[in-house]
Amino acid sequence: MTRLQIVLTRVFLLALVVAAWECLPRFGFANPRLLPPLSDVLTMLAQLLGRPQVHEAIWVTAAEVIVAFLIAVPLGAAIGVLIAENEYVGDIFRPILFYVFSIPKSIFLPMFILMFGIGFGQKVAYAAFSTTFVVIMSAAAAVESVKADHVLVARSYGATRGQIFTRVYVPSMMPVLLETLRISMIFNFTGVMIAEMYASRTGIGHLIANWGENFQMRQLFAGVILLAVVAIAFNETVRYLEGRCSTWRT
Amino acid sequence: MRWPAPSTARWLILVGLLAFWELMPRTKIIPELFLPALSKTLTVLYTDRYDYIEALGVTIYEVAIAMVFACGLGILVGAVVGGVALLRNLLLPIFSSLYAVPIVILYPIFTAWLGIGSESKIAFAAIYGFFPVMLSTAAGIRTIDPQYVLAARSMGATLSQQIARVIIPASIPTVLTGLRLGGALTIIGVVVAEMLTSAAGIGYLVTRYRTILDSPRVFAAILMILALSVLFDVLARSVEKRTLVWQTACRSPKRSRSHLQTVPAGAPA
Amino acid sequence: MANVTRLKERPEATAIEVAGLSHVYSGAEGGVAALEDISMEVVAGRFVVIVGPSGCGKTSLLMMLAGLRHQTEGTILCNGRPIQEPDPGRVGVVFQEASLFPWLSAADNVEFPLVLRGVSKDERRSRSEAMLRLVGLEGFGARYPHELSGGMKQRVSIARGLVQDPPVLLMDEPFAALDEQTRMTMGHELLRIWSATRKTVVFITHSLTEAVYLADEVLVMSARPGRIIDRIQVTLPRPRTYEMMATDTFGRLRDRIWQQIRKTSQPGLEG
Repeated sequence: MTRLQIVLTRVFLLALVVAAWECLPRFGFANPRLLPPLSDVLTMLAQLLGRPQVHEAIWVTAAEVIVAFLIAVPLGAAIGVLIAENEYVGDIFRPILFYVFSIPKSIFLPMFILMFGIGFGQKVAYAAFSTTFVVIMSAAAAVESVKADHVLVARSYGATRGQIFTRVYVPSMMPVLLETLRISMIFNFTGVMIAEMYASRTGIGHLIANWGENFQMRQLFAGVILLAVVAIAFNETVRYLEGRCSTWRT
Repeated sequence: MRWPAPSTARWLILVGLLAFWELMPRTKIIPELFLPALSKTLTVLYTDRYDYIEALGVTIYEVAIAMVFACGLGILVGAVVGGVALLRNLLLPIFSSLYAVPIVILYPIFTAWLGIGSESKIAFAAIYGFFPVMLSTAAGIRTIDPQYVLAARSMGATLSQQIARVIIPASIPTVLTGLRLGGALTIIGVVVAEMLTSAAGIGYLVTRYRTILDSPRVFAAILMILALSVLFDVLARSVEKRTLVWQTACRSPKRSRSHLQTVPAGAPA
Repeated sequence: MANVTRLKERPEATAIEVAGLSHVYSGAEGGVAALEDISMEVVAGRFVVIVGPSGCGKTSLLMMLAGLRHQTEGTILCNGRPIQEPDPGRVGVVFQEASLFPWLSAADNVEFPLVLRGVSKDERRSRSEAMLRLVGLEGFGARYPHELSGGMKQRVSIARGLVQDPPVLLMDEPFAALDEQTRMTMGHELLRIWSATRKTVVFITHSLTEAVYLADEVLVMSARPGRIIDRIQVTLPRPRTYEMMATDTFGRLRDRIWQQIRKTSQPGLEG
């Protein structure tokens, strides 16, 4: 299949989904109170985007996402690099991290609530906590992905540590770093959402949980679509950048 | 002074953490509200053990059923989508884009449709586990060395023989990794769902005790969940270890890189 | 009576006959000619080696001899019947990567073709044991591929190719992944197995030394589109020895092959 055919087929599949979402509730195959027709949902979405209450919630969520990200990434990167560079530390903590990875971080959410109460600080702290681990793993993997051979060649030409860092490590790690950012953001966003849905008075996640409890399905679906679009947009942008950076990767 | 061996250091860290857990609250350095003493936590766990075991039973039941769907469907769909080039080019990018969306935001939809009983948790956790398993299987299927199929063909194997005697045995390492991943994520999905909106299960206990600020019972519940997920992980890894030899042999080196890029090695929650 | 016996033996029987073989890969711009008008006859029991520059199509040719790929033009006959699809009873194949299934033991790997055809367990066992003995791996049947060295894995691969006793054995650079010393040992071993079983062997290699050492006849292929540009008879006596590699004859033969390949890789250069 050529590229054009693939794109067209995907558009066609999307159209099928849209048609189903519109028609099934309208013609009674699905309960319209449980699954409102897509047009109703989109109308509601447009309305919601005009309300100041919703604006506020979006700002709150965005702020939490950004702040948590800014905390988690440098912290996780520093630890990850340490684990990758220092053999002793790495040997100790690697197995621990493996197990920690499979533990649901969300079970610690009540801890954060008990400590910080319910508010901005608690949500940011939890999201940062949850995201840091994946940043650690990815950073460690990124450092290891730099071929020892390349470093050896640079050293044999008398490069200083700083030069090795900027001229071998950074270009080598660039694609992996972007990948790390992308995946960390997915985890980060998820963390913020869970925190907001669980115990919060503000934020989009809280609104969605509320709408769900009150059976306000149109608002609920509108919120879900909004979040999905934002998440996918960010993801694809970073993926695009990754593609631009990694042409040299085998 | 000589540094202790890594495994000893790990034990020391673990012991240190346990000591920290016990002493800090006792000496009031950390308020009991934030961190109840380890001994207190274990005590309430014992006194209320029937409640906890009952809740754990509900949770395990939900996890088991959700796992069947998540892993079963995930491996099947992943194998088909990853194996058939047409489907792969068409659908895989769509699925991996969808992965970016926090699935947890769909949970209220499930409670609205299915109520707050086990059905909504199972449905939600099944979807939660399905995506990563599917993506990981689809990626893993491609790492099978095509030379194996070529060799089988040269020996006169029919298509069904190729599938049954070469492709399936060669994909077992991938499938096992997918099961481990899927299982871990299903547990997470169930726990998160129970914490959010539920009437039973371990996650529900966490929330219930948190709202009445009963810290020791909250931590006891958390401990149970920890035990469950670590247990599952240990079990899954030990099964995987037995086939580790096939893993190193099966993967053709140039493909393993792309496998790492498609799916992160852990759980978003 | 004497005539009938001679007819049955037919010492000069042709094991493989290729006539007018061409292959064109269909591509976006119309097609890439991979092989052009290849014709060859391999007498039964001979050891033929094919050499040529990278990309000349020798692996494609071997795939077609094995029935794994279909040519666009020309015919391939093996013992008088055309090759349409893989037939391990007539043609055994040994690949560059040993391609042993890592989840099966060495013996199970050798028995695999027999399992596909539903042969009984006892007969499978005795055949695989016989083959492993032939390749010098008696007693290693229970070992798994990850426990075997590169050379040993290739021996198992050879045993697997021979387990159905095909008259023809095709080998696609089987020793390429081995280090030089193991290569030399395996070459020697292969000749021993060949003289014990008297199969017809078609062997592909990049190594000119290996080609002259092993072959009765060397076919030199040109760069793409692959044609046969020279057939060289190697008249060195058998059994071959390492000392022969130092002789003038050996050097001249190898040199002749090299000149041909150089010419075909760089068309402007006259040898």
